[in-house]
Amino acid sequence: MTNFDTTLRLGAMTLALAAPLAVATPAIAQEYPDPGQTLDWTIAFGPGGGNDIMARTIVDILNTYDLYPGDIAVENRAGGSGAVGWGYLFGQSGSGYGISTTSGSFVTTPLQADTPWEPADFTPVALLATDDLVLVVNGSSEIQNIDEFIAYAQANPITIAGTGTVNVDFIVPTLFAQAAGFEFEYVSFNSMADQTTALLSESVDAMVGNPGEILGLIDSGDLRALVYSGASTPAALEGVPTMGDVGHDIGVSMPRGLILPPDAPAEAQQFWIETMQRVVETPEWAAYIENNTLTPTVLYGEEFRTFLSNTQNGFAEVLRSVGAIQ
Amino acid sequence: MRIVFLVAVLGAAIFYSYIAFADLNFMTRTGRLGPGFFPRIVGLTMVAMTLLAILDALRDRARVNAGGAPGADDAPDGRWRDFVLLVAMALGYAVLIRLFGGLVSTVLYLGLALALLNPGRHLQNALVAIIFPACVYLLFDRVLNANMPPALIDLPF
Amino acid sequence: MDIFSDLVMGLSIAITPINLLYLLIGAMVGMIVGVIPGFGPSAGLAILLPITFGMDPVGAIMMLAAIYYGSMYGGTITSILLNTPGESATVASTFDGYPLAKNGRAGPALVMQAVASFVGGTVGVILITILAPMFSQVSRSFGPPEYFLLAMMGMLTLLVMIGSNWKLGVISALIGFALGTVGVDLETGQGRYTFGSAELIGGIYFIPIAIGLFGLGELFYAFYSGMHRHGSGGLVQYSKEQRFWPTAEDYISTRWTMLRGSVLGFVVGVIPGAGATIASLMAYSTERSLSKHPERFGKGEMAGLVAPETANNAASSGAMIPLLTLGIPGSASTAVLLAAFLLWGLRPGPLFMEQNPEMAWGLIASMYLGNMVLLAISIFAIPLFVQIIKVPYRILGPCIVVICALGTFTVHASFIELYLMFAAGIVGFFMRLYGFSPAALVLALVLGPLAEEALRQTMTISRGSFGIFLDRPASVWIICVTAALLVLLPLLGRIGSGAGKAEKAGG
Repeated sequence: MTNFDTTLRLGAMTLALAAPLAVATPAIAQEYPDPGQTLDWTIAFGPGGGNDIMARTIVDILNTYDLYPGDIAVENRAGGSGAVGWGYLFGQSGSGYGISTTSGSFVTTPLQADTPWEPADFTPVALLATDDLVLVVNGSSEIQNIDEFIAYAQANPITIAGTGTVNVDFIVPTLFAQAAGFEFEYVSFNSMADQTTALLSESVDAMVGNPGEILGLIDSGDLRALVYSGASTPAALEGVPTMGDVGHDIGVSMPRGLILPPDAPAEAQQFWIETMQRVVETPEWAAYIENNTLTPTVLYGEEFRTFLSNTQNGFAEVLRSVGAIQ
Repeated sequence: MRIVFLVAVLGAAIFYSYIAFADLNFMTRTGRLGPGFFPRIVGLTMVAMTLLAILDALRDRARVNAGGAPGADDAPDGRWRDFVLLVAMALGYAVLIRLFGGLVSTVLYLGLALALLNPGRHLQNALVAIIFPACVYLLFDRVLNANMPPALIDLPF
Repeated sequence: MDIFSDLVMGLSIAITPINLLYLLIGAMVGMIVGVIPGFGPSAGLAILLPITFGMDPVGAIMMLAAIYYGSMYGGTITSILLNTPGESATVASTFDGYPLAKNGRAGPALVMQAVASFVGGTVGVILITILAPMFSQVSRSFGPPEYFLLAMMGMLTLLVMIGSNWKLGVISALIGFALGTVGVDLETGQGRYTFGSAELIGGIYFIPIAIGLFGLGELFYAFYSGMHRHGSGGLVQYSKEQRFWPTAEDYISTRWTMLRGSVLGFVVGVIPGAGATIASLMAYSTERSLSKHPERFGKGEMAGLVAPETANNAASSGAMIPLLTLGIPGSASTAVLLAAFLLWGLRPGPLFMEQNPEMAWGLIASMYLGNMVLLAISIFAIPLFVQIIKVPYRILGPCIVVICALGTFTVHASFIELYLMFAAGIVGFFMRLYGFSPAALVLALVLGPLAEEALRQTMTISRGSFGIFLDRPASVWIICVTAALLVLLPLLGRIGSGAGKAEKAGG
């Protein structure tokens, strides 16, 4: 049989099936989620990472409170800083039964590599939390608070350490410095551990980082927290002002949210928005937010898509201005 | 053959240096050491060193041709046919993994490789080709939950 | 004695039946993930982390830590038997471990590696117990200038690795440096040699290259030299009763090696980010330059196996210091342990040992026990593993290809890394055939990025001035030690060879 024949026959079959389907579609749609369908949950990173822990926490909550009627198959599809996993979800275009969680790489990987997808392509469900950063100096430093820091930075050349360049670690201090009117040299490190060692050894003047990993050093007085980039300061950092409090809000953070494949049915999107509204009310979710020192920032549906586009555009703008990307 | 390998290394070194000079800056805009700083040094040194090594190899060859004894660095003779066969099979395996995923391609590869390397013993080969991948699959995928190569094309079984 | 009572308290916590069971499970899993090439401790830890959620944190951390240092025991087994490093810290163990096995000493080599791992691990824990506060100062005095100097010190060891033909050795190292520059440039964020591939953003990882160069390269070479055509048996000879246990001479001749390897490994391990791989490679080079018989290295010298083995285990203990005293993970594996602490709601940091003494000392005490358990498991398991080499090579060969390929894939689920592994195998074969130095290549691949990044960070911090190296006390110390080594090592070597000659003349 030739290909042409196959096409024709398939075409005819489609036509024959199309009429009943057209009638059936609304009925199926109303029934979302169909308990007979397995939910294909992609984690775009390996086990044990931040994205993995968040996804498994949500799945646990869904199961504990019986929020999803069907089976959920969780699969780690790691590789290429998330490109593989989100690429897989991108390939399920139109389906309501593929789902994935996002993290910082969701915004940065498309900026660094030729991925076929962009963050705004996916059907947004909800932004659940953001990863925000705290600016710290060495505990032996004379700088006691953010005002002194800004004054010092305006008068002296300073260095600020962070992890990577195509990363919120670079964007946040850059935007903050623009707003507060000082200049600095950014020193890029491979990991939080490397930059913390650099600050402890007094090689750099300050650094930005996720507070969770350095709370112990802040408690002991080895590091001094000056300002927090999120919308509200987490309990563990009580007394530290946000960038908004000191009048230099920058509004950039790493999105931890939930997405469906591109062009997912509106019913699926609506179902997941309603479900996540219940998930974020659970005590388990509150514990997750607290243990990981995340900022609970919740946005639903199209607002999340706008947030993603804005974040990515902001990133691209800053990175282009320093020549990191073309 | 040593010269062929060295020429291949030289080709790679030239390509590497070309990109280092064409795409990567020596200094950044702000006057810091740029992304091309290290690659340019490494690339140029590599080209120079490989040229020196090729000269050595040519000199050795001239000496051997003139009736001298082979030097200490000359490769021992071996079975090129077997080497090429094994490499070809390994590369075939790499392609199979991409297409059919970890489990199926391993069964196919082991079946073929053992049939060629261990001819005649069909039962032994068949057992190894099925039991070994099955054990690896169970250990990696079921016990350790490790990444196994996913299939691009799902076979009907 | 404060330390003593703390340790007794730790032991009383660690020695409960359920905690010992967790320790045993961790040790066994560590051995297994260590044995599988590519599948390293960080992957093993990450996979078992979710299981520990419902467990008592002390038992859980004991199990996770046992996986971590247990993998160092298992990782060497394939290095010795198949020339395929089980994980990156055991690459240096192939240099002499595999030749030992080829010379018919697989049994003694395996036992000695277990003993060396035990000594390294135990010396490491003893040093943690008594000197943790002091070494915590070492961890916190390392900034980019010190890392650059450390990398330069490591480069000196490259000289030892370069081999007989220096031009080919230098080319090997340059290939390693070149591979090390692939990936997104840390400082500018610009892609280098990534060609738009998302899988190359993070650079070329060490493990696929090492597995390809050593494991597959050796396999191709074995087929080239016709090994598979032998009737039975493989490359490696082994007879059970005859030579399973090491001789007294093996222990005596390596007693100082064990001590040096342990201390060197521990100190390097304490430095966050340097880690067990660099420690083992440096220990190997140091031992070779100190040896009276440097020419025997690479041909099956016991000291050449013992040095990296003690060093990598001591380094994995040493890496616990920044984790416990500062809350800074020095490696991918300790980063998973840190994630575990955070999940349990603990705050690792300078106050951690004071606020959670039962946790910290329970963990330290469990490391003494864990090393004993692992030594016992190793000795027990060695006769099983040695069965591998009785499989005819024509059957074993394809199975090694499979294990190398699938093991590589488990690391990052990257097809590009899989192809790189095969390519490294072919290149490794030619390097071996024509007298290049794969060892120099892997060392350069580890040190190159460290040196480049640290130099550029340093230059940014100092605004282009080299004076920074003389302004910082820690930097000056490293420069002095390096200079002393440069002067002393050749001198020691001369005394050694002089003594050797004198002995010969006398005997």
